[in-house]
This record gives sequence, C-alpha cells and structure tokens, in this order.
Amino acid sequence: MGEIIVLLLLIIFSGLIFMQGDEFAHLNESQLGPGTFPQLIAVLLAVLSLVLLIRKIIDMKRAAGTGASAGEQFRAFIHEYKLVIIMFAMLTVYIVLIDVIGFVVMTLLFVIAAGLLIGPKKRKNIVILVCVSVVLTFSTYLFFQNVLYVRFPSGILL
Amino acid sequence: MFDLLILGMNEIFQLHILLIIFVGVVVGILAGLIPGFTVAMAIVLTLPLTFGMDPVTGVAAMIGVFVGGMSGGLISATLLGIPGTPSSIATTFDAYPMAKKGEASKALSIGIWASFLSSIISLLLLVTIAPQIARFALMFGPWEMFALIVLSLTIIASVTGESILKGLIAGLFGLLIATVGADPIAGVSRFTFDLGILRAGIPFLVVLIGMFAISRLLVFLERTEMAKDKEEKQKDELKDMKVVLKPLQTLRMVLRKPGTLTGSSIIGSVVGAIPGAGGSIANIIAYDQAKKWSKDPKKFGTGCEEGVVASEAGNNSTVGGDLIPTVALGIPGSAVTAVLLSALMIHGITPGPLLVTSEPNIVGGIFFAFFVASFWMLIAQFAGMKLFVKVTNVPVHLLVPIIFVLCVVGTFVLNNRVSDLYILLMMGLIGYLFTKYKFALAPAIIGVILGPLAEVNLRRAFMTNPDWTLFFTRPISITFLILAVLSIAFTVWQTKRSGKRMAGAA
Repeated sequence: MGEIIVLLLLIIFSGLIFMQGDEFAHLNESQLGPGTFPQLIAVLLAVLSLVLLIRKIIDMKRAAGTGASAGEQFRAFIHEYKLVIIMFAMLTVYIVLIDVIGFVVMTLLFVIAAGLLIGPKKRKNIVILVCVSVVLTFSTYLFFQNVLYVRFPSGILL
Repeated sequence: MFDLLILGMNEIFQLHILLIIFVGVVVGILAGLIPGFTVAMAIVLTLPLTFGMDPVTGVAAMIGVFVGGMSGGLISATLLGIPGTPSSIATTFDAYPMAKKGEASKALSIGIWASFLSSIISLLLLVTIAPQIARFALMFGPWEMFALIVLSLTIIASVTGESILKGLIAGLFGLLIATVGADPIAGVSRFTFDLGILRAGIPFLVVLIGMFAISRLLVFLERTEMAKDKEEKQKDELKDMKVVLKPLQTLRMVLRKPGTLTGSSIIGSVVGAIPGAGGSIANIIAYDQAKKWSKDPKKFGTGCEEGVVASEAGNNSTVGGDLIPTVALGIPGSAVTAVLLSALMIHGITPGPLLVTSEPNIVGGIFFAFFVASFWMLIAQFAGMKLFVKVTNVPVHLLVPIIFVLCVVGTFVLNNRVSDLYILLMMGLIGYLFTKYKFALAPAIIGVILGPLAEVNLRRAFMTNPDWTLFFTRPISITFLILAVLSIAFTVWQTKRSGKRMAGAA
C-alpha cells in the first residue's frame, strides 16, 4: 500500500516538474532551454513509475483477501514504527526550535530527550546522558565557532 | 607512471597531514565496526570538519576514513558474527566460525593483513590505470560525457536494489532533485515552487546526509531492528576473550595464499570501479570465486583461512577500484567517492578527465594518502584492537542522538543556512521511504551529483551542433549508449531467468 502511495507521489512530482518546465524563457531556438532536460527526465520518471504502479496494483489484486483486519494492521504498524515516528517528530521540533530558542539549549535538550526515548529511564542512564549531551554540545559549539568561525543560530537564549 | 605518487608524497609527508589521516582511519574503523553505522555515514560527517583544511589535507582525511571503514567491519564480523557494515557480510562466513573455534585472534590478524595487502594491490592498479583512462577521456566531447553518464546511471540502477525498474526510478528522481535551483547554464531559477527554502537549490551533501544518515538512523529505531540489535549484543561470549594478535606469523599465513589474495584483490578492484557496485558486492563475489577455485571448497564456511583472506581482500580493494573512475572521469563509483568529489568542488576544484593534468598534486595526494592510510590501518588495527573490541558495547541510545546532532550540525555548517535543515528533514523522510520500499539509495545519490553534469553536457552538445543524431554517430558515444541498453537488457533477462528458476524450484 505504502509503495503505491510513494509511486503516486513520484508521478505527481514529475507532473509538477513537467508543467513548470514550460514557463522558463528560451534564450533562442537552437539550444535546449532550461526546462527541456528536467521535462525529459520527468517524462521518463513518470512512465517508469506508472509501469511499476500498474504491476503493484496487479500484484495486490492477486494477493487480496489475505491478512488481518484494518484495526489489527494499524496496531501492528504503530507497534513497529512508534519510535520512528516519535523520533522524527522530535527531530522536527529540534530543527524548528534551533532558530527560535538557540543551538546550545536545543541540542542539550534534544540529546537527553532522544536518549531517554530510546534507552532505559534509569537514574544512571540519565546521568550518563546529561554528561554526553553537555560534552557533545559544547565541543561542537566551541570547535565550529572558534576553529571554523561558524555562527550557530543563537535564538532568544543561546 | 609513479611521478604522480612521488608528487603526492611531497604533499602528504607533513606531520599534521599524516596525523589527520591516522585520525581518519581510526574514525573509519569505529564507524565500520559499530553495526548499523556505515562508512558513507562517517565520511559525510567528517566532511564539515575538513572545511578549514586545504584540499589535499581534507581529501586525505576522508580517504583515511574510507580505508579504515572498509577494514573495521572485520572486527564485529569476527567477534559477533554480524557484519559491522554491509561490506563484511561474507567475512562472517569464515571468520566467525574460526573465532568460535577459539582462534579469534588468528581470524582478526589474517583479516587485517588481507585488508592491507589488497589495499596495496588495488593502489597499484589505481596508479597505473587511472591516468590512462583520464588521457583517453580527454578525447570526449559533450556527447561522449553525456553518454557516459547515462551508462553509469544505468549500471548503478542495475547492480543495486531490488529491481532495475526501482533503481532507474531512484536514479531519475536524483536527477530531478538536482534540477531544483539555478539552472547551470542560463542561471534561471527553476522549480522552487515559490518556496524560499528551495531558492538556492537542494545541496548535494544535504541530500546525502538526509538519505544516508538520517534515514539509516530511523530504520534503526524500528521495533524489529531494535530487538535484533539487542539479541546480537547479548551473544558477546567472545568479547571478553583475550585477543593476542601475532602479526608476523599470520603474515606468513596470508602470503602463502598468493592466488586467493591477488585474485580477490583484482575482483575487488574491478567491482569497485563499476559505478554503484562497492564493498558489499565485492566481498561476496570474491568469497564465492575463492570457493569455486579452491581445491577443497567444502572447508569454506567452517572457519578456513582462505575464506577470511578472500572476503577481506575483496572489500578493501574496492577502495582503489572506486577511486579509478572518480579520479579519471569525475564519475563517482559510490556514495563515499561522491562525497570526496563534492569536497573537491567545495574547494573550487572541478573533477573530470582534466584533473590529472591540471591538478596533479591533488591526484598524487589522493594516491599517496591511500597508501599512508593503508599503513595506518594496519598499525591501528594491530595496536588498538583491544579498544576497538570494547566499542561494540556502546549502547544505541547514546549513539543515535549523537549522530542525529552531528547530522544537523554538519548540514548547517555546509552553508550556514537554517533552511537547509528543513531540506535535511525532507530528504531523511524520502530516504527512509525509499529504503522501506526497497528503492536503492545509491542511484538517487549518484543521480543528484551527476545530474548537473549530464544537463550541462547535453545542452553543450546541442549548442555546439543542433544535430541530435551525433549521439548515435560518434563512435565512443554510441558504444556507451549501446552498453547502457545492454546493461538494462542483461539485468532484465537475468531477473526473468532467476524468477523462472525460483518458480521451477517451488
């Protein structure tokens, strides 16, 4: 099922690229314009995705009727991917807030939170995580700030 | 032929560069031996650290990581029976049984020697072949370059992943991603969909970090993967074993098998030079061939020395092979060399057939850094084995957050843009979905790096001469295109055949 969605998205994506490809000004007739190469690739991508899509749908029709109920499938899905989904959400929050709150604070929090999400929630573990998080945050911050002169987003805190 | 190597020696023989290569090798070994963390990941994350260095030093550091990583998988393959990287799968076949028999140290030292000697053999091949190919490639016009890129992409698509269709889709997707941003010839802004984030394009390295590192970490967090990891960590009965390496004795053992060693090294170098095929494929092919040619194939899989030699020689020699098209043509054979090329580009050096003549010190530096890295790998592995063995104990819940942060830092440092971080998230998600549904990531990555090159050459060809039939009438160009069609046809035929055989067996 997911595979079909991915393929549909790919087809939509190539469609978008193809339609946008016409909007650029051509410099002159003899050369390929800025839109031609992407359009060519988009057509190829759409055709191949469509071929695979049709194949998958045929396969699915054949295999239909087996498997658990939708509710059970959903529960199994959540069980398997719970950590992936939560972690991706955490990463998103981390990235969004880096600019608002600041690199140092967010990194300290992210490492501890992510570590607790995956690992055991015991006191010893928390102590280790806090140490790791402090060392990691300040060593990257100081290295890039002082050796490579990178300015990290400082946000409202740091 | 060796003048490049001597030139490189002058570049590399400075204390700080030698030291940096050593650090690279150690980092590579660590990345290789920790299951679930790949060499590609390590090399991507080293890149930001090399920004402050001059090009030769930076590239040398990365070659250190590459060489170290290829040999690091040996440790976990031997002691835990699980490949630390995909390129040491066949190593587990014989090294693990050998370790179970109580000869872990023998397996490790044989593996280290095989890695080292095969690296040297592949270096010799690299030094002799790459300049010749580059000289030949100087004759290429835009038609030939375009055809060559088409060929590389079809080969990558056919050797990686579940099916060639998926490989091609991934490759085309990579090509399309690369068109976002400014057009390489006219400078027109394309496909930004009026989003500020996309105005600067999608940087190659952000795609790489997202697809290879973020998505890999997400896979790691799936319930079944976590359970598997726990289970593997529990069978550490071997880890407390005393590891006493006997370098000289085992060197003799390896040298007594010159056929297996050179054969596997050549297989490794050739496989490495094919775009898309790397250590993981060479490791298995070399093992398989050694078994076929052996007088006594039955002892393979029970802990025999040849098995360890073949598999470890197979994966380490891909480094030299992989560098051949990278240096000679500017076409990377794997994600790792793609990073290497983009590091050069960041320093304003254009990879391609001209590299050997225009930047001989860089090319020589690459060659010699490979040589030095192989030595460091030997020394680091023999001297630091006891420490490395301990690292397999580092818990996942510490590593995953650390690597996430390093990915974010690495992405930000590339261009000092917060907007790149959003692209990173997007690419991580896409990479995860791709892996989940068995679209290979390598074609997508190589597509992104070769995309602009393909487009520029295609358009240049039409600017020079609007006649499109030139692609089919110029001899070298048509040869490449025919090979591209053949590589697709062959793969399709092969899958059909094996499909039939499976149906017959069932």
